[in-house]
Amino acid sequence: MTSPLVRLALAAALTLAAGSASAQTALSDNQILSGLQGLTDKAPTITAQQLRDMVQRHMAENPGEALNRTSLALHLDKLPQINVQIQFRLNSAIIEPSSYRTIGAIADAMHNPILHGYKFIVTGNTDVTGPRERNLQLSQQRADAVVNALVTVFNVNPTRLDAVGLGEEVLLDPKRPTDPVNRRVQIFTVGRVQPGSAAR
Amino acid sequence: MRLLHLLLAGVVLAGSASAAGAQTMSYAQAGALLAKSCGPDIGRFCSNVNLGGGALVGCMNQKLSQVSEACKRDYAIATASIAKRDAAQDSIAEVCSADTARLCPGMIPQDGNLLSCLLQATKVVSAACNQAITDAGYR
Repeated sequence: MTSPLVRLALAAALTLAAGSASAQTALSDNQILSGLQGLTDKAPTITAQQLRDMVQRHMAENPGEALNRTSLALHLDKLPQINVQIQFRLNSAIIEPSSYRTIGAIADAMHNPILHGYKFIVTGNTDVTGPRERNLQLSQQRADAVVNALVTVFNVNPTRLDAVGLGEEVLLDPKRPTDPVNRRVQIFTVGRVQPGSAAR
Repeated sequence: MRLLHLLLAGVVLAGSASAAGAQTMSYAQAGALLAKSCGPDIGRFCSNVNLGGGALVGCMNQKLSQVSEACKRDYAIATASIAKRDAAQDSIAEVCSADTARLCPGMIPQDGNLLSCLLQATKVVSAACNQAITDAGYR
């Protein structure tokens, strides 16, 4: 729907803005924006509560050793999404200053006119190291912390954001469940804001 | 309150010194600036406090006399830039309404097409609208 010009213009602006980017972000600012855009009518609808229910059901139906369990498949591949590494303090939801830039870059994308009218679910994920219930709790706290920073520091409208902890249930690399690559924040574009609310 | 006054002073200084006509920085740049200038102090004084919800600022406020000058200065610059960019983004619909009616009739601001139209028409768009687009970081 967006004209090539505005994409190009915004891409250029974001590329310039990324001048001080460091290797700590796996995704460029441009990749964050392009990853979160393009929600179609064919994409499944999902709510934060449905995601939480899926996690609870998966935990109940898959007890036992972490290394032998199957990873929960969310079947949300058709939703625009990004995986970002946010550095938190060990066993804590405190965002390290080294990730402030990444949080800002996510806010840049959410403030972009291309994504103006859209809502997002921010999920937190751990690897399988440590107690399962604790990981679920920690991942929710971390997702909450990211949303809180986006809203209160970078002025993203809170009605556009939900936070969901997925614990250790949704692995990025199910073959290596203890790999730190599984610790990540995943953001999905899930729908449009109610018309007329003019949320940014 | 002390921090607030200090910050406001910083904002005014930043405004008069550089930010008046300068471009706002991106939120990513603002985050990077905070991390660079305040990261060491945050690690030293407030490592158990999170960024959001005013908690970190509240904690740093308690340690204000020990917080580095660079952190105080750049915190003011970063927050002023975030606020300016945010206000500019909010203002575009109104500031550019006459330009929109004249140059881009029928377009709605929701999907980026209106901005694309206004960017294409930069040479004939009003100065105020162009400035708002620049400050919003949309150019």
